[in-house]
Amino acid sequence: MSECIVVTSGKGGVGKTTTTANLGVALARLGKKVAVVDADIGLRNLDVILGLENRIVYDLVHVIEGECRLRQALIRDKRTENLFLLPAAQTRDKNAVSPEQMKKLVQQLKAEFDFVIIDCPAGIEQGFKNSIAGADRAIVVVTPEVSSVRDADRIIGLVEAAELPEPQLIINRFRAKMVKEGNMMNKDDVLEILAIPLVGMVPDSEDVIVSANRGSPAAFDDKSIVGEAYRRIARRLCGEQDVPFVATEAPESWWGVMKRWMGLGEGAQEVAG
Amino acid sequence: MMSLLDKFFGNTRGSKDEAKARLKLLLVHDQVDLTPSQLDAMRAEIAAVVARYAEVDMEKVDIRLEKAHDQVRLTSSVPVRRVTGRTQVAAT
Repeated sequence: MSECIVVTSGKGGVGKTTTTANLGVALARLGKKVAVVDADIGLRNLDVILGLENRIVYDLVHVIEGECRLRQALIRDKRTENLFLLPAAQTRDKNAVSPEQMKKLVQQLKAEFDFVIIDCPAGIEQGFKNSIAGADRAIVVVTPEVSSVRDADRIIGLVEAAELPEPQLIINRFRAKMVKEGNMMNKDDVLEILAIPLVGMVPDSEDVIVSANRGSPAAFDDKSIVGEAYRRIARRLCGEQDVPFVATEAPESWWGVMKRWMGLGEGAQEVAG
Repeated sequence: MMSLLDKFFGNTRGSKDEAKARLKLLLVHDQVDLTPSQLDAMRAEIAAVVARYAEVDMEKVDIRLEKAHDQVRLTSSVPVRRVTGRTQVAAT
């Protein structure tokens, strides 16, 4: 049974493309046949995050306009079996594609792949409508910031209005130290406001920038905590139950240790589940 | 103002509570599509209706819209000093 998941957020710059790339890699490493689709027509980036930018010949718009076959446009990632990219067009705009055409394209992809993951552009206009048209469900990426949570709330409403099932949430760029200091909303704060099920927590890490520099998503790196976070989300998406969240607790400060010794501490404060 | 000592001892309240409180209000406004002045007018009118039947402590009236899961809810706290039992119809 194959499934199409759209990765969306409303706000730009919260990590949709990074999430799409990493989930693609992680799912492929679990043995699933995966197509990642860049729906950000005119501003493509999934190709560079995956390090496949030099291999693009045809793109999504070529397929939709019948200039090539779907197979010709799909780029196979050589680092893992079963991962393919359908790049966006760079010189066209979002109106080059309609929701009906996207729906048809997704149907074609679902016939070949276990998972089709769509990287949705920021915003709530045409590009968003195209991206959700063929999707079976949505993952909303949010960072624990006021602007991102606000936009996520709006997107959740739009996803539900489009009659997709209740979306799942990924809390991205989580900073345990800031949570501990009371300067960042924690998991429960965000969930209290957005009230949808959590599918993953991804800590903020320099790994993401390094892997973007290299065009090699962190999910390839077995030592990366970010990679591990995405691999666990992939397992949850495959239906595995009770996969624990990655350790998102800040290391205890020297002062915290002192306070605990002196019996002044409030005890170990859990910042995330 | 947080004192340096508070900061040193880690006893300061962080900014996240502020973020959460602002968000809760923001999301209601995003959904309700009423201007702040319309909301104020609604509050005043609701309180005025209650005041026709009871003596209301107008200073402490708290009527607000809150987002609870997927619906917006009107909650109100209107302290009543005395129920007059006599309708005081406001002159219009």
